[in-house]
Amino acid sequence: MEEYPEEFRSPPVRLVALVGCPEQHGLISTHFLSQQPPINTLALPHFSKLSLLLHRSSKSSSSSSAAGILKRDWLVKHRTKIPAVVGALFLWDHVSGDPAQWVQVCSDLDELKAAIRPRNIKLLLLVVVGQSDEISEDRLLALRKRAEVDSKYLLLFNPDPSQLNNSLQRLGASFAELATTFYRDEGRRIKAPIEKKNLSSLDLQVRYCFKVAVYAEFRRDWVEALRFYEDAYHALREMVATSTRLPPIQRLLEIRTVAEHLHFKISTLLLHGGKLIEAVTWFRQHIVSYKNLVGPPKVIFLHWEWLSRQFLVFAELLDSSSATLQSVSSLPLGTVEQPLTEWEFHPAYYYQSAAQHLEEKRSSLELAVSISEAFNDNDDGSAESVVQSIYIGQFARLLEQGDDLAMQFLTDDEYTLYAIAEGKRFQDSFEIIALLKKSHEMYTNLKVQRMGSLCAFQIGREYFSLGDFGNAKQLFDGVANLYRQEGWVTLLWEVLGYLRECSRKQGAVKEFVEFSLEMAALPISTIGSIQTSKCGPGGPASLEQRDMIHTEIFALVSGEARPISLDGTDDLKDNTLHLEIDLVSPLRSVLLASVAFHEQIIKSGVSSLITLSLLAQLPLSIEIDQLEVQFNQFECNFIIMNAKKCPLEAVPSEQHDHRVESAPSLALVPNKWLRLTYDIKSEQSGKLECLSVIAKMGPHFTICCRAESPASMDDLPLWKFEDRVETFPTKDPALSFSGQKATQVEEPDPQVDVTLGASGPALVGERFLVPVTIASRDHTIYAGEMKINLVDVRGGGLFSPRESEPFSMDSHHVELLGIVGPEGEDESQRGPDKIKKIQQSFGLVSVPFLNIGESWSCKLEIMWHRPKPVMLFVSLGYSPNSNELNAQKVNVHKTLRIEGKNAVLISQHFMLPFRRDSLLLSRIKPVSDSSKFVSLPLHETTVLVVSAKNCSEVTLQLLSMAIEVDDDGIEKSWSIQHGGEDLGTAVLVPGEEFKKVFTVIPQVDSSKLRLGMVHLKWKRHCGIEDRSGLTVTDAHVLTKHELPDVHVELSPIVVSLDCPPYAILGDPFVFCVKIRNQKELLQEVKFSLADSQSFVLTGSHSDTVFVLPKSEHVLYYKVVPLASGLQQLPRISLTSVRYSARFQPSSAASTVFIFPSKPHCKMAGITDQGLESIIAD
Amino acid sequence: MIVCVAVVGHQNNPLYIQSFTDADDALKLHHIVHCSLDVVDERVNNPKKSGPTLNETFLGLLYPTENYKVYGYLTNTKVKFILVTTDLDVRDADVRNFFRRFHAAYVDAVSNPFHVPGKKITSRTFAERVSTIVKSFGLSSAG
Repeated sequence: MEEYPEEFRSPPVRLVALVGCPEQHGLISTHFLSQQPPINTLALPHFSKLSLLLHRSSKSSSSSSAAGILKRDWLVKHRTKIPAVVGALFLWDHVSGDPAQWVQVCSDLDELKAAIRPRNIKLLLLVVVGQSDEISEDRLLALRKRAEVDSKYLLLFNPDPSQLNNSLQRLGASFAELATTFYRDEGRRIKAPIEKKNLSSLDLQVRYCFKVAVYAEFRRDWVEALRFYEDAYHALREMVATSTRLPPIQRLLEIRTVAEHLHFKISTLLLHGGKLIEAVTWFRQHIVSYKNLVGPPKVIFLHWEWLSRQFLVFAELLDSSSATLQSVSSLPLGTVEQPLTEWEFHPAYYYQSAAQHLEEKRSSLELAVSISEAFNDNDDGSAESVVQSIYIGQFARLLEQGDDLAMQFLTDDEYTLYAIAEGKRFQDSFEIIALLKKSHEMYTNLKVQRMGSLCAFQIGREYFSLGDFGNAKQLFDGVANLYRQEGWVTLLWEVLGYLRECSRKQGAVKEFVEFSLEMAALPISTIGSIQTSKCGPGGPASLEQRDMIHTEIFALVSGEARPISLDGTDDLKDNTLHLEIDLVSPLRSVLLASVAFHEQIIKSGVSSLITLSLLAQLPLSIEIDQLEVQFNQFECNFIIMNAKKCPLEAVPSEQHDHRVESAPSLALVPNKWLRLTYDIKSEQSGKLECLSVIAKMGPHFTICCRAESPASMDDLPLWKFEDRVETFPTKDPALSFSGQKATQVEEPDPQVDVTLGASGPALVGERFLVPVTIASRDHTIYAGEMKINLVDVRGGGLFSPRESEPFSMDSHHVELLGIVGPEGEDESQRGPDKIKKIQQSFGLVSVPFLNIGESWSCKLEIMWHRPKPVMLFVSLGYSPNSNELNAQKVNVHKTLRIEGKNAVLISQHFMLPFRRDSLLLSRIKPVSDSSKFVSLPLHETTVLVVSAKNCSEVTLQLLSMAIEVDDDGIEKSWSIQHGGEDLGTAVLVPGEEFKKVFTVIPQVDSSKLRLGMVHLKWKRHCGIEDRSGLTVTDAHVLTKHELPDVHVELSPIVVSLDCPPYAILGDPFVFCVKIRNQKELLQEVKFSLADSQSFVLTGSHSDTVFVLPKSEHVLYYKVVPLASGLQQLPRISLTSVRYSARFQPSSAASTVFIFPSKPHCKMAGITDQGLESIIAD
Repeated sequence: MIVCVAVVGHQNNPLYIQSFTDADDALKLHHIVHCSLDVVDERVNNPKKSGPTLNETFLGLLYPTENYKVYGYLTNTKVKFILVTTDLDVRDADVRNFFRRFHAAYVDAVSNPFHVPGKKITSRTFAERVSTIVKSFGLSSAG
């Protein structure tokens, strides 16, 4: 766009002139410029200047022969030289002054009129008045008459600040009006012959239409301007076939140049009017109508240059106006007849096309230059002193004839020479790169990546041809990535060809080899190959070319041959070439290594199979000299030698630390897996993963290929789209689907037995011993370490100190107390390095060195506080081989479930003495807090029976049972008596119960009395067999049982029945009821006696008696038994009136056995004694 | 005259591309076909613009070049057909008709049990059928 003159690029601005009174010009012209639309002002200080200005231009316009279409300077003349209106400024002093001044004014006016009349320029009179001036109408009238202007075009201009604004406003309006009139009149004058169609030539029609349009533009009548520009454009197109004024080349040149200008005007007007679709359509028609006007072959480059310029200019127009456009997607896409596509609204497309045409121009120019040099080698200087002539699109020779300059027409040949000489001066490549970069940038911003890539590719190609390989490579790399990703093989081939050449030129051997290998491995088949001469430096994409590249590269890497023109590199023999192929490398198709372990888990030290499969997609087969397989455990690395190329003996000595295998052949045939299966053995447990496979070819060339698992192997890029036979990397198809490049190496099988000796239930409270025996079978044990864990069976977790109640014993229901070493081993004999760590549920103990066949044992002491089952985990870790710290550890685990049970169940109950009942008020009227306790009468004897039941499965031996009082202060509150401490050998078989009787006499009235603890000492009863291994025999176990608290109160009345222990049928006996009042008060007691069928009795049945304080009342009854056997005595019931408590002795107490006759044996005494003793206790 | 037809797969990879021109511009045609995929993407991703042509397989004129017109077609399985022609005034009906026949040929080719979906179409029968369709392009409309 910049090549157009300024007057074309911007819309024309009206021009007026001011003459005289130069001191006012600044004010007025500033005001005019700020008007909307603005007016340019020519400020002429003196009247003579104007005539000079107009005179010169009028002289040149006199030669009106049709030598061209548009004059170059016509537009600029109208914009800068020929004013539409001339404003003549006169001072009022001069107008109204003395006659001499008036004469001067008149002569000035006359001169002015003479100058402007031929051009129909409008005249405006301005009289500059001062504040104090008196205006005389006569003089003004005279002035107006003299100037021959209408009265409204004579204005008074008052520069006084109070009047200035007003004056300027009026001035502006009048000038604008007159200017519009001028341009309209001029337009009409020129339009007339067009409308009458009496123009002699198309030249004139184009010129007149153009002028009308320009005048319309001056008036800002865009519609008319557009119409006449289009008319001019169409008329011009007709000239192509008809005009004969100039030689053909120059004629076409002129028409094209004018058309370009007209088109520019039209496009600008359309785009400024917001008519985007019309503009694009118009541009398309413009290109279509001139596309075939290529001209003679030798100047065809002018055509391309012109076309390129059209695209460029339109792109720039679109670019500059696109700020006001909405997004393209909202635009309707043309009509059905003329569909427009998205990119036609984007400047990027036009920039790209401009660049493409410029490329065409360059190639045809090169052709033209070579032809012209071949045929016209004598440069006679005919291209010199050629300049643009006064007409647009014409060139002429400037001849100097003395002081004068003359224009001479050129012949076509002369012009051609000139044009070629001009064309040679420009570097099109930079222009092309700039255009493409712009386009690329725009496409990238729009996220149109393929178009953008094409631009990048074209830029790269330009850089390549310029020899800027660094830039070119960078661009090509990006493009190649896209093509790789989308699998456009032929396009990729072309880019890679360029990349290969770039690296060759730069001397980058590694990249050269990489690109060459990638090209050789591209899936170019015979079907899709392109045989074309217009291909990049990589040659045509064909199978033969792949073969050629392959051969070239392998000749290079094997050191047999140097490639042609790989400049600036040292010989390969000096430095090695190492290629890395990872999982995303495009070189995967060159060499793909798939590694599969046959087993997912292998034993350490046990050999297993590994299959190594290699695949190459190169066009020819290649021979590998040596393969090195690398693992994460580097001891496993091994090398496979090609037996053909390198016999085993010739292996270099430094490789001897690795295993070396030999394979009969390591030839890689295209698209065929090379499968190699070898043994693999690892000594170290953990993950064993194959990392990479390094193939060595020739003395200096290695390819390091990352190993891949067949199960998770991606398809080869590009090749995956090919319709080819797919083979499995391993012979076994299952392994191809599931094979992994990594395997898990298990630790070796332990050759040590760990035995946990105990089984049976453990008893709560005892130190339960679990013997652990470690016996080595085949391993010596170094650095052995045994861990012991106690775990709740229900998964309650370890009984670790971290539990919620760390300080409570309750959180450790089961506790590991200690570890007892083997017999004879003392703690002090252990070395300081021996570890022994015991916590409640966790233990760690070190195991001494054990040779094969030796054994070691210890005992774990575990104490149960609560009956519950636990799991005992014992794990032994040791290293079988040496004392090394990092040596492989072998672990043996053992678990044992041990039940914990209560050994004895202790219970107790209280009994009152036989046939003696105390009235306990709390029993009758339960009070809430004392109800849960057993109530005992104060100072009365109570019998306490404590029974211990063996609820375990083993026989127990009871050692002693006693009631211990833990607090001295309470001791006096009650007295307790019991039998001897020693129980002798009281042996309890499972389920058996042992009872012991105590008597308790409370001494203190207390609502809550602690009775103390029952202490039962027992141990496992070891019968005939010695089970000393299980428990510590000599240690007795103390089981404690807390006796419940009791409620002690004074009973107001004690009732005891007195009757013989037995009776004889028909034999009367006395049965008396003793009522003892223990209070200090008189007690009124009602009693009643129920009759019994078995007895006949004498005595009162019911009565009320008064019992004196601290005394006893006895009721006597004489009864005769009527039936034998265990008989119920007549039951007495008492009611204490004071306490309103009814009281009846228990039925058991009022039972007596009746013999049918007097027994003969003398047992009565014994029975009496026994009964007596119980009661007495 | 049709100069190039192409079948483009899901990953925008060419499944079949054939040029029918004696000139040495096959590579250029490949570039054109590749670039036209941008327009296909744009149209598929912004269906609003297509307006009435929603759900239609025929995508219309894709790409302006001075010498070629590029038309596109998107099958239900999102396989793209691209047509490059040198005829500058082509009737939409002709192009639609061409694509319909081309689609039928494609369906027959991929229905071959030996064809693996997503791989290049190498069937010779398909190639022959395509060249027949290409040759008859525009003739049917003339009659």
